[in-house]
Amino acid sequence: MNPAFYLPLGLEEGLETTVQRFGPAHEALDLHLPVVQNEDLLRWIEVLREARGTNLAGRPIQEILRSLDKVTKRFLDRRDSARREAIESLATFGRFTAAMLERSIDDAFGPLARNGLQRWIVSELGSVQVLDRPAEGARGTIRRAHGPEWMLQIYAGNVPTLPVWPIYSALVLKAALLGKTSAREPLFAPLLARTIAEVDEKLGACLAVVWWKGGTGGLDRTALSSAPAVLAFGGEEATGSVARQAMPGAAVVLHGPKVSVGYVERHALTFAGIRGLAARAAHDVSMYDQDGCLSPHAFYVERRGQVSPEQFGEALAAALEEASKDLPPAVAEEEEGAGVQLARAQARFESAGIATVTRVLESPGSTAWTVIVDDRARFEPGPTRRTIRVHAVDGPDEVARVLTPAARSIEALGLEARGPERVKLAARFADLAIPRIAPVGSLQSPVPWGTHGGVPRLLPFVTWTTVEQTGGTPGPAKAPGAIRRRIRAAGIRRR
Amino acid sequence: MTALEWLRYDAWERLDPAEREARFAVLALERFRDQARTIAPYGAYVRHLGIDAVHDWRDIPPVPASAFKSHDLASIAPGSERVLFETSGTSISRPGRVRLGHTERYEASLLESFRRHLLPDAALMPAVVFGPTRAEAPRSSLWYMCDHVVSKLARGGAWIVRDGRPDWDLADRTLEAAMAEGTPVLVLGTTLLLASYCERPATRRLPPGSRVMDTGGAKGLRAEFAREEIERMIEGSLGIPPTHLVNEYGMAELASQFYDDSLRAHTEGRSPIPGKTVPPWVRSRVLDPETMKERPEGARGLLVHYDLANLETPFAVQTEDVGTLRDGRILIEGRLTGAEARGCSLTFERFLEEERRT
Repeated sequence: MNPAFYLPLGLEEGLETTVQRFGPAHEALDLHLPVVQNEDLLRWIEVLREARGTNLAGRPIQEILRSLDKVTKRFLDRRDSARREAIESLATFGRFTAAMLERSIDDAFGPLARNGLQRWIVSELGSVQVLDRPAEGARGTIRRAHGPEWMLQIYAGNVPTLPVWPIYSALVLKAALLGKTSAREPLFAPLLARTIAEVDEKLGACLAVVWWKGGTGGLDRTALSSAPAVLAFGGEEATGSVARQAMPGAAVVLHGPKVSVGYVERHALTFAGIRGLAARAAHDVSMYDQDGCLSPHAFYVERRGQVSPEQFGEALAAALEEASKDLPPAVAEEEEGAGVQLARAQARFESAGIATVTRVLESPGSTAWTVIVDDRARFEPGPTRRTIRVHAVDGPDEVARVLTPAARSIEALGLEARGPERVKLAARFADLAIPRIAPVGSLQSPVPWGTHGGVPRLLPFVTWTTVEQTGGTPGPAKAPGAIRRRIRAAGIRRR
Repeated sequence: MTALEWLRYDAWERLDPAEREARFAVLALERFRDQARTIAPYGAYVRHLGIDAVHDWRDIPPVPASAFKSHDLASIAPGSERVLFETSGTSISRPGRVRLGHTERYEASLLESFRRHLLPDAALMPAVVFGPTRAEAPRSSLWYMCDHVVSKLARGGAWIVRDGRPDWDLADRTLEAAMAEGTPVLVLGTTLLLASYCERPATRRLPPGSRVMDTGGAKGLRAEFAREEIERMIEGSLGIPPTHLVNEYGMAELASQFYDDSLRAHTEGRSPIPGKTVPPWVRSRVLDPETMKERPEGARGLLVHYDLANLETPFAVQTEDVGTLRDGRILIEGRLTGAEARGCSLTFERFLEEERRT
């Protein structure tokens, strides 16, 4: 039986649990869950806050980093029990295949290893020491960073390792954490929390990760109305409801639904390079069965290269077939399959008339992958399940035209171009305020010192003490709080 | 016989099953040939698929429901429509359009099925619509349907949604007046709107014989669980028992609707048969989404409908809905929708029935 929650020692005592069926009807999995009541949540939050005061608030950051590094090492060790358990239990759950999970864990923990976690903190806060005491930070100011007392994090279920960086971010900010998992993937976050507790009991005392049914009862309200910091991932409706219910003055970062796209410049379309390029593109599409916000839904491919957009589509189809062996897709639920078939039928319908769809390539006898070749640019996110549109274009302007109205919905752009062309194109797409521009093939491997949705991962939750020096001003320092206000103005606090 | 006469249950009930199948095949193949000729984008699609002659109605290619968004799928000339229904749009796609030059078939079909499932006792009662009037929502097929039911099958009606907002006080007053008079009422509306009304703390006992037609699902819940919850809410708040609560499934792209058997079963003194009635002039097929092959009885798959009441728009429609067929009845399976379902990826057109129709 799978305990799909993590509570610190002591809190589990006397806790009522229930068995709940998750997943598709034909292969639902029974998971053990706590029966969460309002009083429980309130008590847990109290216990977490106290534990934070005792175990975390005054703890030297280096100690925290050492423990988290151990956790990282464990998940990167292919023989480690925590990693094995994660892969086995999630693979049984059926949303992701084992091969996909191996890759996902490597992508999430890899960048944290070898001082990656420190590099991440330094990139945002200027130094690691600012988390312990006033220390010299960016621009020579003397500052001390404060994390919130505790954070509420609400995870989405589309990417299994999505909770890794958020959980790390709470602990490095010395914040206690109440995590709420998604019904679509309720396993990884509690497993990570348990591993952290195994490595470092004191850190484990400041974490709780549970699932409750979102949008029902007063549980959301209870958690949101007292959380000083909230990080939430989810659909429009879920993030909208978080925004409405959050405590006034809370630091709130919301990541709503997004997709990614790709752009291929014509000089990159060579006979010699097409197979490699297609394989990289196919990897970006195939990870998480295209359900992540970094999953491309369209490649805009320039005409007049050695290889035509249509030939790129054919190469991509072949590469997707290959990728379906290395990274097998999860068994589709009927609803997902129905969505793919509707998209295919629609594409065929469009290719019949004067519309511009020229080819529909699909995995035979399955919905494993689909390539729709279109002779004009448009932005139309597909039904996932590795359904990718290839649009022939003359240049970036027509792509910018179709992406501009949807720019808010785009998380990243995979860019395949070389030399000065690449610089020029990156600048062109940066104009659209797309948060991330990365090489094709690495869309699914972001780094923590980048942003998520254009928002840094630590800064929005940090407040500062600035210690001013007598007798000299170190330049026009920004007022405390200015950074967060700027981020909010950029639209992360959506309603 | 004219096609209109085939939009009656008794016309089909007179035939034995083999005759029914043969009759449907004849009418479907005839409709297909007409529509391939008269609906230009459909004809182009049929030719593109390389389909020459069709001998089995099951080989008639359905249009994807999404094609109503991308194409004008009406056989009538632009601007000659009497009504125009819109399907839902999203932030990234415009709504689909269903243009009808003649509404006789649509109206005949909707009245026939409504009467059979909501008024099997031939009752005539005042209606309360938890929704807007047709005048206020002229492009909604659902509110057109409710309007038409009120004008033909009810004794007057009250509409609870005005200027886009539900007026709960009006609902209270209307229902209380019915209780004071002891007159049973016919309540029509979306499941969501009815559920939000029933969430308000009040317990009414509407006069016996009162009944509810609700349409759509319950957000965020698997239909089979949600249904019991809805039944409890309606019974608790309105005093209308589950025997008098009839769920409807429909979409703007189809002229015909599918209803629960609950009230009919109650009137006939038997227990209800699960699933929704497929009117005899409609065939619903359940296909394996992976292979697009017909699935066996009782297995889940995507739904394709063939509706002979669709004259001016394609009568064969491929949906994104999932369900099963059992004894010729259709079970619409709920989806995991709403907040948690899709994580942070943006998916295209995942909407509940009432959103699709209103």
